[in-house]
Amino acid sequence: MQFVESRFPRSHLITLAVLAFVTLAIVPLAYSNGIIANHDLQRYGKYLCWAVLATSLNLLWGYTGLLCLGQCVFFGLGGYAFGMYLMLNVGVDPVYKTSLPDFMDFLGYTELPPHWKPFENLGFAMAAVICVPGVMALIFGFLAFRSRITGVYFAIMTQALTFVAWILFLRNEFTFGGNNGFTDFKKILGANLYSHPHTSTNGKELLFFILSALLLIATISLMISLTRTRFGKVQRAIRDSENRVRFSGYCTENFKLFIFTLAGIIAGIAGALWLPQAGGINGDVFFPRESLWVVVWVAVGGRGTIWGPVIGAILINALKSWAQSEYENTWILILGGIFLVIVIFLPGGIASLGKKLPKWFRICRDWIEAFMATRKKKVDPKEGGEGTS
Amino acid sequence: MRILGSIVTLLLLAIPGLPAATFSGSAEVREKLAEAVISAEEKQIQILEDLIETGDPFISKVLTAWRRGELFLIEHEGSTIPALLENADSKEPVKVFILESGEVLKDKSGKELTVIPSRQKTAETTRTLRTQFKKTIDLLGISDPDPKLREKAAFKLGSRADPEYFAALMDRAAIEKNPRVLKKLKEGMAISQLSIGDEKQKVEAAAKLGELRSIGALDRLKKIVSEQEKLAENEKNNDLISEATRSIKTIEDYKGWVDRGETVFRGINYGAVLLIVSLGLAITFGLMGVINMAHGEMIAIGGYSAYVMQKWMTGLYGDEALQWYFLLAIPFAFLTAATAGLLLERSVIRFLYRRPLESLLATWAVSMILQQCFRLYFGAANVQVNSPDWLIGSVSLGDMAFNYNRLFVIVFAAIIVLGTWFLMSKTPLGLSIRAVMQNRDMAASIGIRASRVRIVTFAFGSGLAGLAGCFLSQIDNVGPEVGSKYIIDSFMVVVSGGVGNLFGTVTAALGIGTADRMLEAWSDSPVVGKVMVLSTIIVFLQVRPGGLFAAKSRSLD
Amino acid sequence: MSKLPEFILTVEDVNKSFDGFKAISELNFYMDKGELRTIIGPNGAGKSTFLDLITGKIKSDSGKIIFGEENHDLTKLREYEINRLGIARKFQTPSVYEEHTVYDNIMLSLPESRGVFSSIFFRLDSVARDRIAEILKTIRLQDMERVIAGTLSHGQKQWLEIGMLLVQQPRLLLVDEPAAGMSDDETRRTGELLLSLEGKHSIIVIEHDMEFVRQIARKVTVLHQGKVLKEGSMDSVQSDPTVAEVYLGRKHSTVA
Repeated sequence: MQFVESRFPRSHLITLAVLAFVTLAIVPLAYSNGIIANHDLQRYGKYLCWAVLATSLNLLWGYTGLLCLGQCVFFGLGGYAFGMYLMLNVGVDPVYKTSLPDFMDFLGYTELPPHWKPFENLGFAMAAVICVPGVMALIFGFLAFRSRITGVYFAIMTQALTFVAWILFLRNEFTFGGNNGFTDFKKILGANLYSHPHTSTNGKELLFFILSALLLIATISLMISLTRTRFGKVQRAIRDSENRVRFSGYCTENFKLFIFTLAGIIAGIAGALWLPQAGGINGDVFFPRESLWVVVWVAVGGRGTIWGPVIGAILINALKSWAQSEYENTWILILGGIFLVIVIFLPGGIASLGKKLPKWFRICRDWIEAFMATRKKKVDPKEGGEGTS
Repeated sequence: MRILGSIVTLLLLAIPGLPAATFSGSAEVREKLAEAVISAEEKQIQILEDLIETGDPFISKVLTAWRRGELFLIEHEGSTIPALLENADSKEPVKVFILESGEVLKDKSGKELTVIPSRQKTAETTRTLRTQFKKTIDLLGISDPDPKLREKAAFKLGSRADPEYFAALMDRAAIEKNPRVLKKLKEGMAISQLSIGDEKQKVEAAAKLGELRSIGALDRLKKIVSEQEKLAENEKNNDLISEATRSIKTIEDYKGWVDRGETVFRGINYGAVLLIVSLGLAITFGLMGVINMAHGEMIAIGGYSAYVMQKWMTGLYGDEALQWYFLLAIPFAFLTAATAGLLLERSVIRFLYRRPLESLLATWAVSMILQQCFRLYFGAANVQVNSPDWLIGSVSLGDMAFNYNRLFVIVFAAIIVLGTWFLMSKTPLGLSIRAVMQNRDMAASIGIRASRVRIVTFAFGSGLAGLAGCFLSQIDNVGPEVGSKYIIDSFMVVVSGGVGNLFGTVTAALGIGTADRMLEAWSDSPVVGKVMVLSTIIVFLQVRPGGLFAAKSRSLD
Repeated sequence: MSKLPEFILTVEDVNKSFDGFKAISELNFYMDKGELRTIIGPNGAGKSTFLDLITGKIKSDSGKIIFGEENHDLTKLREYEINRLGIARKFQTPSVYEEHTVYDNIMLSLPESRGVFSSIFFRLDSVARDRIAEILKTIRLQDMERVIAGTLSHGQKQWLEIGMLLVQQPRLLLVDEPAAGMSDDETRRTGELLLSLEGKHSIIVIEHDMEFVRQIARKVTVLHQGKVLKEGSMDSVQSDPTVAEVYLGRKHSTVA
């Protein structure tokens, strides 16, 4: 019997089309007609970037079984790389009268450190966005996988990695802005980055929103394609029984290294696109907790599914911004509680609700039926009680 | 009688709040002092000079009070009585202690008289008098019964470079029996010589300071060298320069050793703290396969427990509770954290035993929730936990200071490790725990109440974290995020020590703790230290992926 | 000392200790090409450890393991490299890809395109498809292509694993307790399958089930305490008193 696989199942295609339509047609239209304000557009753009970040983690965790608790390292590195370009394009600043970024003037630098110089070029910065996280992932992954560190140990090591990054980037001497980081961006390739005044549309907000949307679409498409190849199946086999894969002739270390690097690069690009929409970046992006949030998005959405993490990322962040304004002090408790319940009782995340709901429904129904049956038995005329058969 | 009086005095002097001069001082000294108060200036100076010889520390206290305007002249039945008051700042009437006799002022009927401080006249001082005060007090210092105070005085006097002080130092050196004080006296003399001696004496003094390894003299020596360098060729004292330079080097080398020693000590201390924290984590992780990200919050619970106990006890018993509340805080912290652990186990962990990655996430959610609860209840800022007096201060070995609170932690950590080892290897409970760790189902099928063992073990591990938090409150700040500071390091300890292995955990904790502190001191930056330690561990795991003492398995996975 | 050209596998002076326990001790083992060898021995004799050493799951403390005419030194290679030389192992407890379909389990075991990039662009051609279909027929799972492997019965999983080995067309098959947990009929069929492979492939079978061993035995090796105790035909081994002692305990002790 032949067993044919389609490269691109229809359901995914439809969802992708819907996503494209909404983000590339509806939103821009609403924006240019003033229905959506600049800062809202930026917020949506950030959601999209976070969805990409979640997808990169999903690639690692959901499909290969590698729980990385430091995905924000790559996200942040990408952000910083692009940020360096932006910092060098603020023009001559009015206070210090130099073309150096503010924080460098503040620290007493008289000229640009050598590793900053190439970032004046947008092309170089873009290359750095890909290469810096990529190389970082390559090195760390190589060391980790070669010594067969997996599972919980690997997770802890990635937390340690992000912790180190956090400490380093917060230091002023590290030449990356210290704990103030990069802010106050102005221009890109000569054009204004942000709209002046806030209500106009002469900045590049829409551009970055669209780029973020395109990135998400591209990443999802990549995921869908990849998982249908033999590569994708090996990936999942590694997740389930790595030893078996080894004994079937695959060098699993290479596979893991490739995926880890790919995920790192995707996260880096997401970070770079996120940056102009966030307005700034500092060492706190590397704080261990931030990477754990990504895990929350993926877990709640449903790891190992294509769309789960996207839903999780957008939903949780939307929930977070709403809860933060409504319940200043207790929103963490609410969100934490929800997460806890999902982890324990719904490990497949929201995406698994589709399967779980009918099951729960059936359980409830069975229980009700059994209960009704015992009640009926109780008033059975054979026992001498009132008859209501 | 006098000895008893001195002992009682010293004891009472230790309790803050009571006036210093209540019961001490010999009769002769008191008499002289009382005389001085009402005499003319010239006579006053003379008396105070004479009093130096007596070496009675009571004098310093009275003079200090006098200088501060706390020596009062009480009008009573026509005469002016120099006296000290129970409380010089009080707005209420207080008792009067007659300077000459030390007794409380009473009226004819025997009832104690009280006066209001602000209404009384105080004994005045002139500048000359105050200079004499200083001199007397300084010189009295080197005869003070407390050797530590003598040491300090010796150095201080030496730094003044005053020939009269020099003479006093020399006199004292002749009769001094305590070797440490003697050393300081010699240092003091040599430092004086550097300024007041002739050229030859200066050279000798410089050499002597090197011999004595006087760290305190380092600045003076360096100053001398730079001063000499500025002189013209024929004015320089080349011998002085070379001796001083040589001494500087000797002293700096010595100082290096002292610093290293102290760093190692601090490293061991940090290692001890890490050990207590990691022990609990190793137990829960190694024995149960559960990563508890909320372990850091157990530490915080311990720290906050100490704070709560402090508040509670001082609320009930006043400030003196500060001395002993800590002894109660220790078991309290253990129990609170253990209870928290128990609740956590029953509500969350027990669903997740076969799912290590989910347990990581769930406990992290709990950790976030707990941190927010701390913030809401105790505030986002650090809370103040005070140390009892018996933990303040340090013991010295040569020039190295070992803080009492740090020593205490180290000792306690050792006790805890031994206790845990004993529990695990020598008790039936320990055997059950190890059985459940290795094979839960088998253990359950031979009658071990596996879930009960799990609860006890988890509670115990959390309790240990609470203990660590309690100790941390003495050497660090307690705030909502205190746990997160230590959690990453303790993960590193567990990972590199080999999971489930007590000896490995001890080695790793001490190793990482010491390495961390030493690298921090060497590179002058906590960041670089951390980075290097973490990198080393990553590299180390290349070679031994299972940790220092890994368990080997014969199964496929 | 180099090996003689006919041997497919040469094991010489191999030692392996675990924390002081000597699992394999001065082991010498020689196997002809195309041979079907059965290894038996009491528990703890070192049989599975022996296979671990060959496949690279464990590194020996000392000794040589040479494979094939090209004289590959297996002690220097990693697991996947050893597998790619043509050595495939079936484990004691069935290790299949539980979350994948039966079809994918076999497909993943195809010996082509096992690198990262080659697997991304790999396409099933008709040759591969035919081979998979053939294997599925051999292991009697042709109607269960789309079934998730985790839901198969124990016996079916064993056969699936065998299928995963066969599709690799290995030169040396290492089969660890294939009859475990199988019914009599399944056991017999497994034996027939192994016999049919003899000659084209070299096979090492580890077994406890004596009926099964009798069915397939040609040359039998008895391992005890990490050493070869006796080698020979089934009859000679069975009638050997030392073997009986090792399996059944001392002659004079009371064994139930």
